[in-house]
Amino acid sequence: MRMRRLIGWRMAAGAALLGMGALVAGCGTSAAPTAKAPTQITVGTLYAGSGAFATSSLPEYQGLQFWAQQVNAKGGAFVKAYNKRIKVKIVAYNDQSSATTATTLYTQLITQNKVNLLVADFGSVLTSVAVPIAREHKTVLFDITGTGASFFTPNNKYIVLTSLPTSGVWPESLAGFLLHKGIKRVAILYLTNDFDQSQATTLASRLKAGGVTPVYDHGVPTSTSSYNVLIHAMAQSKPDAVIELGYPNNDIAFLQALASSGQHFNMVFTVFPGQLLSLLQKNVGAKGLAYTYTYPTPPLLAYNKVNYGLSLSQFTKAFQAQTHTGVNFLTIAGYNAGLVIQKTLDTAKSLRQSDLRQAVAGFSGKIFTLDGRFRINSEGAQVGETLPVGQLVPTTKGLQMVVVYPAKVKTGSSVYPAP
Amino acid sequence: MLVYALTAGVLFGLFYSLVGLGLNLVFGVLRMVNLAHGQFVMLGGFAAYLAYVRLGWHPLVTMVVAAALFLGIGYLLYPLFAPRLAASTDPEMISLVFFFGVAEMIQALAVIGFGNNQRSIYAPVFGAAPVRLLGERFPAAWVVSGGVSLLALLAVYLYLYRSRLGYATRAVMASREEALVSGLSVGRISALAFGIGLALAAAGGVLSPFLLGGVNPGVGVGLTMTAFAVVVLGSLGNPLGTVLGGLIYGVSLMLMQSYLSEWTNLLPYLLLLVVLLVRPSGLLGRGVRHA
Repeated sequence: MRMRRLIGWRMAAGAALLGMGALVAGCGTSAAPTAKAPTQITVGTLYAGSGAFATSSLPEYQGLQFWAQQVNAKGGAFVKAYNKRIKVKIVAYNDQSSATTATTLYTQLITQNKVNLLVADFGSVLTSVAVPIAREHKTVLFDITGTGASFFTPNNKYIVLTSLPTSGVWPESLAGFLLHKGIKRVAILYLTNDFDQSQATTLASRLKAGGVTPVYDHGVPTSTSSYNVLIHAMAQSKPDAVIELGYPNNDIAFLQALASSGQHFNMVFTVFPGQLLSLLQKNVGAKGLAYTYTYPTPPLLAYNKVNYGLSLSQFTKAFQAQTHTGVNFLTIAGYNAGLVIQKTLDTAKSLRQSDLRQAVAGFSGKIFTLDGRFRINSEGAQVGETLPVGQLVPTTKGLQMVVVYPAKVKTGSSVYPAP
Repeated sequence: MLVYALTAGVLFGLFYSLVGLGLNLVFGVLRMVNLAHGQFVMLGGFAAYLAYVRLGWHPLVTMVVAAALFLGIGYLLYPLFAPRLAASTDPEMISLVFFFGVAEMIQALAVIGFGNNQRSIYAPVFGAAPVRLLGERFPAAWVVSGGVSLLALLAVYLYLYRSRLGYATRAVMASREEALVSGLSVGRISALAFGIGLALAAAGGVLSPFLLGGVNPGVGVGLTMTAFAVVVLGSLGNPLGTVLGGLIYGVSLMLMQSYLSEWTNLLPYLLLLVVLLVRPSGLLGRGVRHA
């Protein structure tokens, strides 16, 4: 009797356990489909509506907005975690080019707005404050153009650079070109910020490794607007190539000063004509840019192998029709960030930040957009794109970008020394 | 390189003297720091750009027109705000806040009106070939800007020290109360001083694209800071001190750019601190000001 009761209890307990197991298993399988999908996916970002970075930040923001409009016109972005399309909403604040203001606003986006995805403002200065905040809140930062090398470290999993290689990598081709040309006397003038300083460091070290020690290698504050005395100081060192690493306003002031100084160098390199050619041309004139060198980027550089998003010509046509403004690299970079986010939502198994980051790693190297190949390393740094060296050559139709280095992408030969 | 840096410093110093003089004149007469001074300079820069691009005006023509226009605007605006600020319990503090608001408003309107982009004028408008000075070649725009600044400074000097209105202005600067008791029209003189302050800002602004590489709505804040440093360096309320302050600032800036370029940003604040610690009344000040 006692034995029968014991067996009965055991059977009952076993049945209960089986029942609980089935219940738990049932919960596991039925949770995802029954979990309520959000009504919208929020993408939080900042833009500089005024101040030093507005020139670059606004087109980048416009590109991101354009992406959201394109996606929403199709019913939203496909979100794998919910197996349906969900509309995208951009939550954006104006940081007025102030890193201090940006610090508060990034925190607000994460803690108050509780955005699903966080996108950084333009450039290294305004991204630098987002990196530790995103890391602290374990939120993936989609970094469009903040290329400061110090942002990408082995112990920070919460950053993804979407458009450009880290700035330390930018001058690889430039150094190669200078060494290939046998240019021995190189002057480097750079701004003392992460973006420009890391370029200057790489350039100087690559040149030194190639047996060339720069004859002038000095930094100036980012706010520098007067360049004549600096040009004069550089000229004293008799350089054949002058490399100025700045932001758009610095490049304009530098090229203006060079035009009025009466100095002539065999080679002059600046960064932003390759990204904001129309702005530079409006301020410096075609003559001031003639035969200067830069890093060409889309739309001056066309990537024909596109397997995700619009091609360059489709984007240009649609963007101009919708916004009635011209396309430059930064609008493309903003749109490209949207594409990376779209693919992330398309492949992530949930909206948890760790799953989002894992999803990015999963498609890294597999998508080719109008901005080139998207591929990141384990630290989140973009390694799919390279920046070649281009020269702006005057033609009867205006300035033409000729890619002069490296050999595998070159479209013509450089005119050196510059006339 | 030293001769180049020193000469460039003098040319730049004259420009900064012009920019600082307007701020100092307004402070001297009104006892108010116009924190929107840099924004008025910025408006002068945009005036030069727009007049050149849209109307084809030479910057020197724009300078005369802009200075006259800003003189009139300042003269007419003065009665709308100054008596109210003066009647407050703490006019100096209230005026700081007031002009801060004006500065922000002008900048916001400039962004709406002109956009955020840098605007610059094709530099050879003053001559394509560089000008030789002391054996060195300088951009023609710098030499012209330096010369025009010098003439403008001279004009202000003649106004202050050789005209009846100038004597009256200096009397108000010395003691507003005594000037009132003496029967001087303090309100009218102050309005004129405010107008001249804005006119000088506009004149400096027209030259700014050539010396600062261009103009954008955000340049005002930095220009106000630099102008303030120049004024304090010379002496608050002393117009001649501003000329000296501007020259010292310009020369120091160029020497720093030539030999210690990484540290250039530190300069205005370093000079300001040194002067405040060593000689609080400024280089040409007679004593500590009790406002």
